[in-house]
This record gives sequence, C-alpha cells and structure tokens, in this order.
Amino acid sequence: MSKEIHREIHVDEALTRKMADLARLELSDVEVVTFTSQLEHILGYFEKLQEVKVEGVDPLISPIELETPFREDRMIPSLVDSEGKPKVLQSAPDTLDNGYKVPPIL
Amino acid sequence: MHSEFEAVIGLEVHCQLSTQSKIFCGCSTRLYGLSAENEMMTDVSVNTNTCPVCAGHPGTLPVLNKKVVEYAIRAGLATHSTIQLKNVFARKNYFYPDLPKGYQISQYDQPICQNGWLIIDTQNGPKKIRIDRIHMEEDAGKNVHVSGFSLVNLNRAGVPLIEIVSAPDMRTPEEAGAYLRALYAIVTYLGICDGNLQEGNFRCDANVSVMPKGSTQLGTRAEIKNVNSFRFIEKAIEYEISRQIEVVKSGKKVVQETRMYDSSRNVTLSMRSKEEAHDYRYFPDPDLIPVKVDPAWIQEIQGTLPELPEQKKNRYMSELALSAEDAGVVTNSKRMATFFERTVAELVQAGADQRAVAKPAANWITGEVARLCNEENIDIDQVRISPKHIADIVLLTRNQVISSTGAKQAIAVAWKTGTPIEEIIEKEGLKQVSDLSALEPILQKVIADFPAQVAEFKAGKEKVLGFLVGQIMKQTGGKANPSLLQDLLKKKLI
Amino acid sequence: MFNKIREIHDAFDRKTLSSEELTHSYLSAIRSSQHNAYLTVCEEEALAQARAADLRIAKEGKVPRTTAPLLGIPLGIKDIFTIDGIRTTCASKMLDQYVPPYTATCVSRLESAGAVILGKTNMDEFAMGGSNENSAYGPVKHPTHSERVPGGSSGGSGTAVGAHLCVAALGTDTGGSIRLPASYCGIIGIKPTYGRVSRYGLVAFASSLDQAGPMTHSVEDAAILLDVMSGHDPLDSTSSFQPVTRCFEATQQQPNWSRLRIGVPKEYMIGGLAPDVESSIQASLKWFESQGAKLVPISLPHTQYSVAVYYIIAVSEASSNLARFDGVRFGTRPSHFQNDLLSFYKKVRSGFGPEVKRRIILGTFSLSAGYAEAYYQRACQVRRLIRQDFEQAFRDVDFIAGAVSPTTAFKLGEKSSDPLQMYLNDIFTIPANLAGLPAMSVPCGKDREGLPIGLHLIAPWFAEENLVGVASAFEKARG
Repeated sequence: MSKEIHREIHVDEALTRKMADLARLELSDVEVVTFTSQLEHILGYFEKLQEVKVEGVDPLISPIELETPFREDRMIPSLVDSEGKPKVLQSAPDTLDNGYKVPPIL
Repeated sequence: MHSEFEAVIGLEVHCQLSTQSKIFCGCSTRLYGLSAENEMMTDVSVNTNTCPVCAGHPGTLPVLNKKVVEYAIRAGLATHSTIQLKNVFARKNYFYPDLPKGYQISQYDQPICQNGWLIIDTQNGPKKIRIDRIHMEEDAGKNVHVSGFSLVNLNRAGVPLIEIVSAPDMRTPEEAGAYLRALYAIVTYLGICDGNLQEGNFRCDANVSVMPKGSTQLGTRAEIKNVNSFRFIEKAIEYEISRQIEVVKSGKKVVQETRMYDSSRNVTLSMRSKEEAHDYRYFPDPDLIPVKVDPAWIQEIQGTLPELPEQKKNRYMSELALSAEDAGVVTNSKRMATFFERTVAELVQAGADQRAVAKPAANWITGEVARLCNEENIDIDQVRISPKHIADIVLLTRNQVISSTGAKQAIAVAWKTGTPIEEIIEKEGLKQVSDLSALEPILQKVIADFPAQVAEFKAGKEKVLGFLVGQIMKQTGGKANPSLLQDLLKKKLI
Repeated sequence: MFNKIREIHDAFDRKTLSSEELTHSYLSAIRSSQHNAYLTVCEEEALAQARAADLRIAKEGKVPRTTAPLLGIPLGIKDIFTIDGIRTTCASKMLDQYVPPYTATCVSRLESAGAVILGKTNMDEFAMGGSNENSAYGPVKHPTHSERVPGGSSGGSGTAVGAHLCVAALGTDTGGSIRLPASYCGIIGIKPTYGRVSRYGLVAFASSLDQAGPMTHSVEDAAILLDVMSGHDPLDSTSSFQPVTRCFEATQQQPNWSRLRIGVPKEYMIGGLAPDVESSIQASLKWFESQGAKLVPISLPHTQYSVAVYYIIAVSEASSNLARFDGVRFGTRPSHFQNDLLSFYKKVRSGFGPEVKRRIILGTFSLSAGYAEAYYQRACQVRRLIRQDFEQAFRDVDFIAGAVSPTTAFKLGEKSSDPLQMYLNDIFTIPANLAGLPAMSVPCGKDREGLPIGLHLIAPWFAEENLVGVASAFEKARG
C-alpha cells in the first residue's frame, strides 16, 4: 500500500450543487468549493476500484446469509399515552388535530 | 376515431392488499371503520394506526409480513406470471412529507412476478394483454391540505401494495377499461384486495402515447395518475389521446409529464410545470434479506386458488346458458358473482331449472341492483336485499304475477326495508291484473273510445298497439299485465 | 476502582458496597469530569434502577448472577441507541431534543439483566468519524491524556470506560468505531459478527456494516455483556438465528494453544506503523508463539481496496438512512415556519455537521444514475472478493492478528484537516465490517508517552467464544 495513485476525476461545482439538491442540503458557496475539491480527491481514490476484475462476481449486499425472516400477519395495536393520543406523536415538532404539520404541498 | 394515428396505452395498477397488518410492521391496515357516534363509515382517526417503524423513527427496522408475499404469489399465479424464487426489496429514494423514511421500500430489478398476461374481450375478439411485472411495495401516507399548510397522516404509510405493470399492449380506451375490469375481478376473486375503488384499494395510472398508424417508433408518453373509476379512466384516456394527436398535428412535441384527470370538465391537466428529473437512486435494501420463495409453497398456494373470473365465466356459459356478455358482466366482481350464484341456488331450491332462470337473474342483478348500488356508492354485499329477494322477483315476473314495472317498485321498497317480496306485493298492491273477466270490460271500453287508433292498427300500423295498451293500463292503474293485453288486443282486432 | 463486574458483585454480596453507592460515585465522577464523555446523564432513572437492584439483592441474599448478570452495574450507552423517554441526539443538532418512543433491543436486554443506565455517551455525529471531533456538542477528551482524542466514533464510551465514569459501555462499530477508541483508550472493545446483536434501536449509519458491542476494562466483562445482548431479535430482519453466545464460559478456560494458528496478513505488515506500535504488536505475536500457537503468514489480496469499498458502501447507505431526518415527524425545526417545502427541508437539514453533509453528498453521488454502476455496484462486488479472501484465509488459520491502528491516540485537531488521512486510519479495522466478521481490540502495551496500544484479533464468523478465549488468556498474561 506504499504508493497510492490518485487519478483526479473531474467533479465540478454544478455536480456538487446537483447532489446537494437531491439530498435536500443547503450548501454555502464556500462549502460548495471545499466539498467539490474534497470530493475530487476522494473520488480519485475510488477510481482504484476500476482496476479490479469483477466480471461474474455477485455483489455482496449484506454480510449475513439467512433464510428470509417473516412476520405473521397479526395486528398489533398502536401504543397510546394516558390521554389516548398515539405515543409516536409525542416527538412531533408541530401537529394539528394529530396530523403532522408541514409547509403546503402543492 | 383518428385514422392516421394509433394510441399506445400501458397501465400501472397499485392494489392495496387486504392483510390484517402492514407490510413491515404490525400496525393495522384499516383506514376506514364504523364511526362510534353514527353508523357511518368514516376515516380512522389520524395517525392512530402508526408506530415507530412505519413512522420512520431513527433506529427502526422493517420485518416482512408473510401474507403479503403469499398474496403477491396468488396474483402472479392468477395472471400466469413466473414467480421469481429469489426476489429483492430495493429502496426508492425521494423526499416527500408522506414518505416517512425518505425512501419507499419497493422492488426494482428483481420483482416477485414477471411475464404474466390476461385475456380481455374486445370488439375484435379476445386479446392477450401482457403483464410485465408484479412487485411488492409499501404505500405512503396521505396529505391533507389546509390553508397555509399541509397535514400528514401516516395511517396509510406501510399498507402493503402490489404494483401490477402491463406492457403497452392496449390500443383503445375500451381495451384499457376491459383490462382494468378483468384485473379487478381477478384480485377481488383471489381475496387479496377489498376492491373498494373509493377507498383507494385499486388505483390506476395510465401511460398514453400516440404514433402514426403503422409506425414502430413509440411516441413520447404522458402519465395520467390517480383516476379512481373505470369509467373515468376510459374517458381520461380518450381525451388524452385526442389531446396528444392535436399536439402532434400542430407540429409540437408531446411533453413527458404527469397529468391528472378533471372529471367535471372531462380534460386532463398537467400536474408539473417543469418535469422534475427523478433520480431514485435505487439500491437493494440492506435491512431486508432477499425473499426466497420455496417452490413447495407456490404449489400449496396454487392449490388454494379459487375459481377465477375466466373459469367462472366459462362455467356460467356452459352450465347456465348465459351469453358471453351476460356472463362477463356478472363475473366482473366476485361479490356480484357470489350474489348471483346464491340467487340461482334459491331458484333451484324453489324448483326452477337453472338454465331457464340464470339469465333473468343475471339481468336483475347487473341491471336494477347494480344501478341502486352505484347510486348509493355501496357494494353489493352491503345491500339490504338478498339473493332470496331477487329469486322471488325472477319467479314472480316469470309467472306474470307482477310486471317489470311492478318488480322495480318492489325492489325499491325491499332496498329500503328488506321486507320479503311477497309481503311488499300484497302491501303495495303490485299484483298484475291478469284476470280476463276483469280486463274484458276495460278492453271493450278502450276499443270503443279510440276507433281511429283501432282502425290504424287494423290497417297495419303495429306501433299504435302500444297506445291502446297504454290506455288500458291507465284504466287499470298500471296493474294490467301489458303482454297479456297485447295478446288480447291482437286476438280481438285481427 | 473496579475492573470487573465480578468484583463488584462480590462486593455487593459481601455488603461492602451497594449499587446505589456505586451509582452515586459514578454520577459524581461524571459531574466533575472535564472529558465531555456524556451528553445526557440519567441521574434520577439511574438511582431508581440502582435502588431496585439493591432491593433485589437484599431479597435474594446474593446477586443472582445467572438470571441477572448485570444487576446493579452502572453502564454508559452510546447516544446512538434509542431509550424510551430519554433524550437521544446521535451527537447532532438535528436530534437535539429528540426523545424516542421506544427502547433499542440490546439496551432493553441489558436493563432486563439488571443494568443501571448512567447516561448517553458522546460520539461522532451519526457515528461518522474516527476521533470524536465531529460531535455537535464538542469533542471528547482522551481518558488520561486530555490534549488527545479518544478515537471514534464511540469516543464517549471509550473515555467513559477508560476514565472510570462507568463500569462498562455500549458502543457501535461500522468501520472500527468500537475497536479504535478501545485501542486508543486502553480498554477492551468487541465488534461481534454481523447479525449477532440486534440493530433494532441503533440509529442506522450504514445498515450492512453497523454492529453494537461492549467496551469494558476486561475481556470477562465484555463476554458477560455479549452473552446478555446476543441472540435473535424478531424486530431485526438481519438478526442471526445463532444461539446466544457463551462467551463468559470461554473466558474461564485456557485455549488449546498448540492447535492454534494465527494468521499474519502480509498486506497489513507494510510499514507505516508508529515504531512503538510495531514493536508492541510484534511482541504480542511472539507471545502467542511462545504459548505454542503457530504464526502463519497469509494473504488478503484485496485489502488495498477495502477503504474505497467501505466508503462507497457506507456513505451510500448513510445518504439513504439519513433521509428520514426531514423535520416532519421528529427532530429540530427552524423557528420560522417555511412557506415552501424545498426550503423547509434545506433549513431543517442544515442541522447536519460538515462531515455528515460531506458523506451524504458522496453517497448521493455514488448511487446516482450514471455513477451507480461504476461506484456502488462495483464496490459491492469487490466487497464479495474481500470476504472471499477471509473465507480462504480461515481455511488455514483460526485467527488473524495485527494492529488496530497505525498510531496511538493523536492530538485534537491534528488529523482533522485531511479527510483522506483520517480514512487511512481505518484500514485495519474496516475489512472485518465488510466481511461481517467478529473482531476485537485488546490492550497490548503503551508507547513511550504512555498512550495505549491495541492488538487487533479477527475470528471467523460466529466464533466469538474462541475470540474471547484467546483474548482473555492474553489479557491475563500480558495485561
């Protein structure tokens, strides 16, 4: 591992912004510049993977081999608090009539 | 319709599975229930059927409901699909408030069923429509719009769905309607879907494109989403085809976009001003193990499949002498078919020959009963009248005890009260007058009162008979047996 | 200061100590500590649990060690595990006031075994980092050398144990996040086989890599915790059906040294190790040899690709796992109501720290149309090759040994400006996560500055008993 060949892939600011949009992240102009150059550097490292022979190799998604675990079709009542309000709503930042409140969805 | 162009239609159906619990957690799948206050069906209270898993809380994990897989296999078997012994759940990533995890667990390149088909009846005979794939996925929640903001209800999030994707094999709105009705019949027969269109159990999206007739190059397609009635889907597709043809004729290009159908104006409208590029970044869900289906299990399920619509229809035609059209309509819905079979059973018990009574029974059910159901927006298994009521109607009309008008009146009363037909007829005095001695004087009177019409009839004008019958009916308060009157008049006048 | 649960239970039995007293002393130590190891301290709840433990001990006369092996033992829990009713932040402003409505399975198993939960320990935000410098609530300091990092992402747990702010702690390991802080802090840290311990309630960073594990002063204690936590969980589809571990028993036995073959991968011995680390690891290997074990040179040919594979897979999964942090159903929202959905999401998600944002962007890119095949899919294929390297190696050896890290704990701020170097720090630990193998760090010495060095041991799938057996013997002789 003594020599790492970092071939630079061209990643530009437009790409960084596009990824930020897809991920619903807000980046400052400074962040866009910093991230773009860091991404370039790191992605160059990943180019290394292109040299591995992978034809016919089955991708490994999970490191555990199991028979498909199933659940029986049994209804479990939702937990409510002492006032009968669904427990899971306790962490809701903003609700109205037990619905989660969000900006208007057009 | 449009001779230089051909329409190409593909349909995607999202079918809610009628399991007790959601696909990845134990929450109830019930979205509607009987209200405690009144006896009306109403939405289950907002967010009461949710838990940390289906609400997407940090650290939660999905566990697959076995019944969902069973139901998907049933759907696959009933549509002649190949069941993929190894199929994989994938994450479809996008942001939307009703999507709690920020991704939908669905299936992507390894769905559970592939390469199925079903047969529809068209004007040109039976046509095979291919079904590319059937896959399992979870439903999203629902948003309600209030002024200034929206409210998210996650009761529906995690309800199991199968998505049934057809090949673009349909060419007309009628073919699309026929496919949907056939598919609807299949899933309701299998008992995997409640089939309530109003509740969103069976949702259709149509992909429509047009191309010059004879061309092999498919045109750009637009997607019409969320039309929840078969009739409206046909109309929406019809409109969309015309719209696209106009666009192409005027030299412009059809935009690939999502559209909605406005039933009040019978038009489709664009839903997005700019088509958002959808990059769903699908990848296999690492929280779920690939679904391995045991061939022995598939065999077992195959053995439990009920008689399917196609088989039932053929049986009605051969055993009950129903026409293809009548058999087709009555088998469109399992509930209707069940009601029909029970009606025939009642008739047989009363001594009738099933081949003789099947058609009138079918006609009353698919006619008057269906009409009343549609008016009140309820399903045939929720009505107050029973197969016995209809069986009685069939017998009484066949025996000329009541006229068809009288029958309809009786049904209307039974609809509201559930009272037995015999009782209604007595109470409302619906019996037809068939007594010759009672009718004779009235006949004589009408013949005497309308000499001109009598002369016309004698001269060969058949239609005027109706007028004379009508006059007699007036005199008897509508109670005379019209077909009997016709016979009597003819005898007298010819 | 106690280093073993057994010693504490002996003291409870002798009535020279109560759980309440012990809990009080830890709570007091936490209060006066400058380490920033804890984000939330559950003072009331802990004392209530301690009192309940004392009542039970009084009733039964002695600690019921088989039915409640952790009775009255104060633990620290990494703030990535959900506990019903207790604030859980994952060291992120996004979850600053989040109170989960349910408890993680492994935590409830610890509680059922009688444990006392002192509080939630600090960590790198959403487990992303190797030094605990990425917490939104400030970095954690090394237990003994305050200008240094404790390692990450379970740095809070590492320091809490190392500085005696709890008896033992729970951490998580995605690419080394238990083993690295264990190594830097001079304690035991085990990452079990993937699937051994339930992930239900473990806020996901990378679903196919995350595992919960114990961080303790002794191998015996880690074994006890593992025995309590392991076993199938029907709420986790990736949970193994292997029987519950019997690691405590294994620590009480001597390994059969003459039958043991210890693999030394040539790809790990390439230089780059700090000299004291190198000599400490070599000395440890020689000790194994002196006991009768055979050192076998092996090759794990795809080692050089592990970091690239790890980062692609981990960030891809993370970018998806973190999409649920959208401010709708839980989490921090901006104070002004946003009028449109897009700016709402962006404002909410600006609560992520820079390292988290960077990884989300990288993951989004790696899964994106057009790039997915070159990066994500290929990474999964190379992952299989890495796993096959281990399958092959374990035909010839029973364990694989080496260093946990090329260095000892570095100074705060020393490495954080170069993300690539930080990544290289994970090179020894990552492959075990990729393959799903059990691995642990056991202290094997100190460097000239007194900083701890960790020996890394990897065992075959589900061989935790063998792993702790060997580690325990090593610890007894060399510790």
